[in-house]
Order: sequence, then structure tokens, then C-alpha cells
Amino acid sequence: MSSHIHETPIFRTENVSKLYPDGQVHAVEDVSISIRRGEYVSIMGPSGSGKSSLLNMIGTLDRPTAGEIYFEGQPYSKIRNLDRVRSQKFGFVFQSFYLLPILTSLENVQVPMFEGRLSGTARVRKAKELLDLVGMSHRMNHMPQKLSVGERQRVAIARSLVNDPIVLLADEPTGNLDSVSAEGVFELFAHLHQQQGMTIVLITHDEEFGQRAQRTIHMQDGHVRSDVSSAHRRIRTPMPPFAV
Amino acid sequence: MRFHTFVLKNLIRRRVRSTLTVIGMAVAVGGVVALVGVSSGSVRSFVSIYEKQKVSIVVDQKGAKQRLTSSLPEELGEKIAKIPGVKQVNGGLVDYTSLEDLGISALVVQGWIPDSPIMRGLNIEPGGHWITASDKRGVLLGEDLAKSLEKKVGDKLQLFDDGKFTVLGIVKSSIPYESTGMWVALPDLQKFMGRPGQVSGFTIVVDHPEDKAEVERIRSEIAALGPSVKAKTAEESVKGTTEIRFIRATSWITSAIAIIIGAVGVLNTMIMSVSERTREIGILRAIGWRRRRIVQMIMMESVGLSLVGGIIGTVCAVVITPLLGKLPAVAGLINANIADPRIITFGIAMAIVMGLLGAAYPAYRGAQLMPTEALRHE
Repeated sequence: MSSHIHETPIFRTENVSKLYPDGQVHAVEDVSISIRRGEYVSIMGPSGSGKSSLLNMIGTLDRPTAGEIYFEGQPYSKIRNLDRVRSQKFGFVFQSFYLLPILTSLENVQVPMFEGRLSGTARVRKAKELLDLVGMSHRMNHMPQKLSVGERQRVAIARSLVNDPIVLLADEPTGNLDSVSAEGVFELFAHLHQQQGMTIVLITHDEEFGQRAQRTIHMQDGHVRSDVSSAHRRIRTPMPPFAV
Repeated sequence: MRFHTFVLKNLIRRRVRSTLTVIGMAVAVGGVVALVGVSSGSVRSFVSIYEKQKVSIVVDQKGAKQRLTSSLPEELGEKIAKIPGVKQVNGGLVDYTSLEDLGISALVVQGWIPDSPIMRGLNIEPGGHWITASDKRGVLLGEDLAKSLEKKVGDKLQLFDDGKFTVLGIVKSSIPYESTGMWVALPDLQKFMGRPGQVSGFTIVVDHPEDKAEVERIRSEIAALGPSVKAKTAEESVKGTTEIRFIRATSWITSAIAIIIGAVGVLNTMIMSVSERTREIGILRAIGWRRRRIVQMIMMESVGLSLVGGIIGTVCAVVITPLLGKLPAVAGLINANIADPRIITFGIAMAIVMGLLGAAYPAYRGAQLMPTEALRHE
């Protein structure tokens, strides 16, 4: 399947603000953007610009203090079970990977699948397929602490994909990686976007990686400073992304 | 990997804390099982003595809550025997004595009429015999008591300060009150206790114990024999006995305290566990777990720990209590044989309930965390 951007927005934020009352800090202030299904968007900006707060609110990990966020046309405030939306529609990748240290790679990838209806055998099969996709099948029985940081992030990406999300939300996924590993992660994102039509919202500090997205939103002091689309930007898609 | 495997790994990972919680739960459950077991065992033991003797009605003094203080005239037995449907009347005196020299501070001693049917009903080991009218100062010992006193048939035993008794027989019985009991002739006990012509009460055997209406009629007629006469069915009588009520009340109060301590222990462990794992809960929520799944995880961990603690505690109580029950200080006073399926089920069920109660608040707290709050937690 090749990348195709739909006209209808998958996400729309309407005057969204996030105020942290303890420090009286407006992390996000009056932000209105929309992201279309199948779009590959990077959000950039300096530390404290509000990009992570915005991503967390889009991903239902946090609630806005003002404004409304719409997912597929439905306001979050009217969706009864946001947990289900997050579980079934979104995949998350974090800078610190957040793998569970007591579990092997194969087991870590299976953790989100407890919410689904797959049998134990089917879960293992799917986890193996995804570890294979990210080039980690040879390390499936290793504990996270025995993996390099790049390998950990690849396992975390495999984990984010197990429930077949339609959106991948990544918060500085290459922040702790060397350039070679980071390149691999971005190649994988490009593959997921182009081949599977996945919507990707990515936060990055790295200008070069940020520019690879079809659209780049720049934030500063909680506001959107620029929103640049380049629908015809070429995205490299090596196959398979993590060939070993 | 299955969900319960994940839960199990969480418990194994925190080995020290899991072990301490299991120990705490085992102590709480073991204590409760032992106490409740002793209490219900005592009732069971009394009832089984009556069942063995086919006793349907127990007669004692109205107003006397303790067997020890109950006192009725011995000749009342003759009046009871004349009531139609009464097959057998056994008068007896019950008292406590001590054998300080042998380290026994309280021992139940029963005075029965020599050669009476109830006396003949005792299972005497070969080589001995029950007390007959011709025996002077004879005593029967329960097999466990005989063992702890190191006495055999023909040996002498100093009782009631100035009385030297001869062991006439050893009574074999699986009922603790009998296996640790002591019997002498009623006249001997009346004499040494200074209660001539008095008995503590009567046990009544009827012709048709299966006929409840008939038993009730006889009971009413006996009760009408005098203002100080109280007649109850065997089971009612046991449950109304002050000693039994005291044992039950004490064990339930102590058990309630143990249950609270156990539940607070689990609560503490689970709150610590949730607090320590705030970030992990945030991760699990972020990668797709619903609140319900977090609750399930915390509950399962708690019930898992409680169940293991409950099983260990129950097994220890069932094994250790009978051993403690053989100590001279308590032998014969309590029924320490608590290996009853109902008690074991109670112990394990109690552990599960304590686990659920202890985990309820931590699970609620864990599930309420917003993923970002939890992820920010260091």
C-alpha cells in the first residue's frame, strides 16, 4: 500500500491550552491545528515549547485545560472510553523507550496485547513478526538491559505496533540514539507511513529528521509559530527497514 | 506470555517485599485459623462426646452458666428416669483439679456412677477396666493424659491433695476431651469436692432420638420438674456453655484483630507497590492498558500474595496447633485438632478477602493516575 493522505482530519485541536497550575505555566496556549489521516507530521521546537504537552493531549495521555481535541470528528470530551481509543488506535514511542526491565524483548512486545482477544500463541506469533519487522528477531529473548539503546528503541517500536494502530505518536524517539540507530528508526517510520498508510506524529529536535516529514509544525512558548507542508517531499523507504 | 505470567513475574521480581507480605499474611491467617479452629473444635468435641453416648438432652442448673457451678440434687435423676420415653439417665459431677507436681494446672475430672451404662460405654484399653462399685479410689485416664503423666494401669496418682488413687484403666478415644480426660467414681468426687448428694447435671438418652417432637416433649417435662432445672438439647447445651462461649468470643475478637492487622499489611504492601511503580503504571496506560487492566493486575498480585500466605498460614496452623495442644498447660482444656475442611476453607477464603480488601484502594489509586502524571513520576 502506498502513502495516501485523506482530506478528512484524523485529529483537530480547537483552541487547546494546557496550564500546569503548580508553576502557573502555559505549556500550550490556544493551539488550533488539524492533522489528516495518513499524514506524516513532525513537531519541532526548543525545550519547553509545548510540543510534548501537545502530543500527550492528542494521544489522550493528558487532558487540555481549555479547548477541545477531535479524533475522527468526535470530541474527546464526548468519547466515553478514551482508554479504548488509545489502546486500539494509537501506538506510542518514547525517548526513554519505557521497556519493562523484567521482561524479554518478546514479552515486552506482547504487553499491550493483553487488551486484545488474541490467544497466547497468536500473541507470540505476532510479537515475533513485529520483532522481525524491526530487525530484532535475533534478540527476542534478551532482557532490555542486555540490548543497546538503538535495539531497545526498535523493540519499543515493535511494541507500539502490536495492536495495529492507525496513528503512531513518537516523542523524540531518537533523542537517546546514535546517528546510525536514529537513521534506522526514521527509515522504519517512513516505511510504516508509505507502506501501511499510518499517520505519524513525531516530535524531534533534529532538523534533518524533522524535515523528512511531509509537514513540519514549529512551536515556541506554547504557540504554533509555523506550519509548513510539503506534500511532495520524498520519503526514503528502504525494505526491509532493519535488515540484519 | 499470558497475563498471569506477567503478574507472577512482578511478584517474583520484588522477592523481599513479596516474601515479607506472605509471612505477614501467613501469621495473620494462621492465628485466625488456629483460634477459630480451637473454638469450633471445642464445640465439635463436646457434641461428639454426646453423640457417641447417644445423648439427646442435657440437664443442668438453671442460671448456672458454667458446668463447674451447676449443682442439682442427685435424686432428681430418679424423677427423670420415670418420664415415659427416657431410656437412660446419667448423673455426673464435673470439676477441675490440678497436678502441680506434674506441671498440669487445670484438668477436667468427671465423677460418674460406677458400673453405670455411660461408664461401661468407655473404650478401655486391654488390661484395665471401668470403675465398679467395689473399687476404692479408682481413676480412669484418657490415653493422652496417661502418656503425659507417664502412668499405666496399677500406678498410683495423688489427687485432691490427700487422696491416693489407683489407675484402673486407660480410655482410648479420638475425642480430645476424652483422650485427655480423667474419671473417678461419683461418690469419691462428691466427697473430695465437698458436694455430697450433688451432681453437675444429667445426660439423657431417649428411646427415639430421631423423633424431634418426642425429644422436645421429654425436654419440656424434665424442665417442668423444678424451677432450678434447665433442660436443653445436646447441641444447644454445648453452645450455651459459658466456657464454650468464652472460647468462641475470645477467638473471634482475637481473629478480628488478626484480620485487621493482615489487611493493613496487605494494604501497606500494595500502596507501596503502586507508589513505587507509578511510572510503570503510566507506561502500561500509555501503551494501551485500560484502567480496568491496571486494577486487575494490582488485585491479582495482592490476591496471589494473600493466597500463598493464607495457604502457608493455614497449613502451619493445622500442623502446629495440635502439637501446642499437647502441652501440659492446655492439654484437656482445648480441642487443638483443627484439621477440619471447613476451617481450612475458611482460612483460605479469609486470605482472599483480605487480599481483595487490602488491594482495593491501591488499585483504585493506580487506575486513576493520568498516564502523563505517572510517566513524570521519578
